[in-house]
Amino acid sequence: MTLFLQQLANGTEAGALYGLIALGYTMVYGIIQLINFAHGEIFMVGAFGGLTMYKLLPDSMTTNVFVALPLVLLFAMVISVAVALVVERFAYRPLRHSPRLAPLITAIGVSIALQEIVRLRYPDAKAPLPFPSILARGTIEIGSVSVARISVFIVVVAILLMVLLQAFVAKSKTGRAMRATAQDPDTARLMGINIDRIIVTTFIIGAMLAAVAGVMQGMRIGQIDQRMGFIAGIKAFTAAVLGGIGNIQGAVLGGFVLGIVEAMATNYLGGGAWKDVWAFIVLIVVLVFRPNGLLGERVASRS
Amino acid sequence: MTIGQLADRGTQLSRRYVTPVRLPAAGLGAVLAVLGSFLAWSGFAGFPGKMSLSGFPGGARIFTLVLAIGFLLAAVRVNGRRKAGLLCAAGVVIISAVNIYAIADEGGGLVNVEIGAWITLIGGLLALAAFASFPDETDKAHVGRLPAVIEHVILAAAVLIGLYSIVAALAIEEPSRFVSFLFFVGFGVAALSALGASELLPRLYHKRQPFTLALMLIAGLAFPVTQDGNATWLRVAASIGTLAIAAIGLNIVVGLAGLLDLGYIAFFGVGAYVGGIFSGASRSPFDIHLPFVLVIVLGAVIAATIGVVIGAPTLRLRGDYLAIVTLGFGEIFRITANNLDGEAGPNITGGPNGISGIPPLQLGSFDFSDRHTVFGIELPGFANYYFLEVLLVVLAMVAFSRLNASRIGRAWVAIREDETAAAAMGINTINLKLMAFAIGAFLAGSAGTVSSHYAQQVSPDSFTFIESVLLLAAVVLGGMGTIPGALIGAAALAIIPEKLRFIGETRLLFFGLALILMMRFRPEGIVPNKRRAREFHEADNETGGDAMSAAPGGPVSSS
Repeated sequence: MTLFLQQLANGTEAGALYGLIALGYTMVYGIIQLINFAHGEIFMVGAFGGLTMYKLLPDSMTTNVFVALPLVLLFAMVISVAVALVVERFAYRPLRHSPRLAPLITAIGVSIALQEIVRLRYPDAKAPLPFPSILARGTIEIGSVSVARISVFIVVVAILLMVLLQAFVAKSKTGRAMRATAQDPDTARLMGINIDRIIVTTFIIGAMLAAVAGVMQGMRIGQIDQRMGFIAGIKAFTAAVLGGIGNIQGAVLGGFVLGIVEAMATNYLGGGAWKDVWAFIVLIVVLVFRPNGLLGERVASRS
Repeated sequence: MTIGQLADRGTQLSRRYVTPVRLPAAGLGAVLAVLGSFLAWSGFAGFPGKMSLSGFPGGARIFTLVLAIGFLLAAVRVNGRRKAGLLCAAGVVIISAVNIYAIADEGGGLVNVEIGAWITLIGGLLALAAFASFPDETDKAHVGRLPAVIEHVILAAAVLIGLYSIVAALAIEEPSRFVSFLFFVGFGVAALSALGASELLPRLYHKRQPFTLALMLIAGLAFPVTQDGNATWLRVAASIGTLAIAAIGLNIVVGLAGLLDLGYIAFFGVGAYVGGIFSGASRSPFDIHLPFVLVIVLGAVIAATIGVVIGAPTLRLRGDYLAIVTLGFGEIFRITANNLDGEAGPNITGGPNGISGIPPLQLGSFDFSDRHTVFGIELPGFANYYFLEVLLVVLAMVAFSRLNASRIGRAWVAIREDETAAAAMGINTINLKLMAFAIGAFLAGSAGTVSSHYAQQVSPDSFTFIESVLLLAAVVLGGMGTIPGALIGAAALAIIPEKLRFIGETRLLFFGLALILMMRFRPEGIVPNKRRAREFHEADNETGGDAMSAAPGGPVSSS
């Protein structure tokens, strides 16, 4: 039972990160029906941005969590948002009229290019770089389960951000414009919504969440490399599809479900070597039996 | 649209200031470029192509010379001359710039660049400015009816030039010269297309298909003879062969049926592992040695079966979902191959080390690794694989074109264009999609078994996501839904990385950037399928355009 609860905690932690990344996928997909394949790389770039900031800080500041962590997160967001905006403007926007294949292949190209730029240009990035834990290490005992403080931090931050995003989309004027655009872009424009601005806003929000996830992933694992975004991105997309793509609560739910299923399956079936297989198996099972995802109402047939 | 705006601004400026003198300017540009091509470019001996010597157009200078003559001819009134002239002039500018950079880089500074290179560059720039001021052509370049003999001659010349340029390209060893050559071919072909070749050649190809295919087959078979016993490029040619078979298969899946498969390399991998396991490899966990004919059929059938098993539940999904699911399956295949090593699972694939020591192919008593001498020309062992692959490529091509022209092919196109409408017309979409998937997997599996023999080993690293993207890029780069496209794409993707080894580490970066640029500027590929090309450029002609339409749903006239 302890083992089970321990795995549940691990799964929840991983799931929180998947959920954060998945939000970026699901929102972009909801609005322009593009699988932003490079979103995993936005996450990766965020982690590298955070590391850069941490290295720039003087020692006196890195020891103070309340100074270091916000600065690291902020700078990670700035980097991720900047990269996402460049990608949106120069790679995706010119292709908005094209058949679906063109932006998808472009996105794959962006993904490869970003990975390679980081690997070749970031100092010493050819091998995984150590990432500081920033938060003091230590565990919190919840019943018989001991949970790392950082895990608690990750889950709390992730849930907080998700709630904020939900409130933003549901209550704010921009949020309403986003929902309108997702539902019917042509009509939304006729109603005076600046679609380009909505798309850019969506990319910015997605990039900010991914940057936070990237930094937290670095803190959790203790190292980062340029490939961290690929598999995380695929899994996050899986989480988004799992929950019903285009659906914000769905992405969060999908993230947690995926994280927990993965942790359980790795523990009880097959072992660590098969870890990455479970995400895809879950994805396929869900798509076969419930193609619209767990919470999806929209049909998965927009082709 | 910054590049477009820049071009527009340049055109405006040029029309305002250059128009009165455009003919003399173009002529002077051509004279300068021709003159420069005969003068020394490099200040030091040892730069490839004897470019430090004056009096003859050696090295990259031959390319600028031909392009300069090209735009000189274009200045004489022909249809499409503005575009053709601009392209030739741009080619001259870029090739001379590349060489100036290379000479300065190797020699240690711009002082090493001799007058010839500068004169050529200036000539090219002058011509560029002159041609920009020419008026846009209203009617498209068009070559009318030709006598049958001329048609045959044109086709034969095109095939011969194609073979010759491949052989010439392979013989170039210096990177700067190879890059110059790539630009020369690129701009030269684009200029010819602007003058009507892009319309003429496909027309002749369709009209005289058996003749052209026979020519292409002869040219393909003649290739090993041109290599003079040297195995280097035959090894690459052998890998182009397997790539091409797989590319044709993927072309059926993506190009005809419109199913985006991002894990296609897994089927190739299944074939390769079957080839490794059942051919008596020294490091195979099993001691089975079946004859090759059986192995290739087994590899193809197993791959096709897996295709059906994967396809049955997932082909109900459309578009992007299918892409992600196939990507997932590709990853599952790779991880599984990695794990079936006797520790995380039963020992079937040899785990991360894979299976090595796969013996050369044998058909009866004919050993594929032997050298053979035909008509006094020595053919290394790889030539045998190459000939076998040419045979398989021909079979795949026949299958592709027969399918494309059949009821099944039309049904695929209907599904690709609008699945709901296709289903409403009584097409069994699931079965047909499954069929496309299975045929694609079958071809990839057969290619995989052959590849495992000449590579003599298989390991999971060869079947990563990047490899799937590479294959997809070959299909898209060449032109989706066309056979020459798949062949050209496979050849380009095998040759260019080999030739550009000097870019080394940055290879993948360039590949990523190339994907982005290709989708931006020529998404329909080098040899486009007419209907596809129109889809991709539908938006270009819309004036207002709605910013959001996801996929063009408008009617597409058939080609």
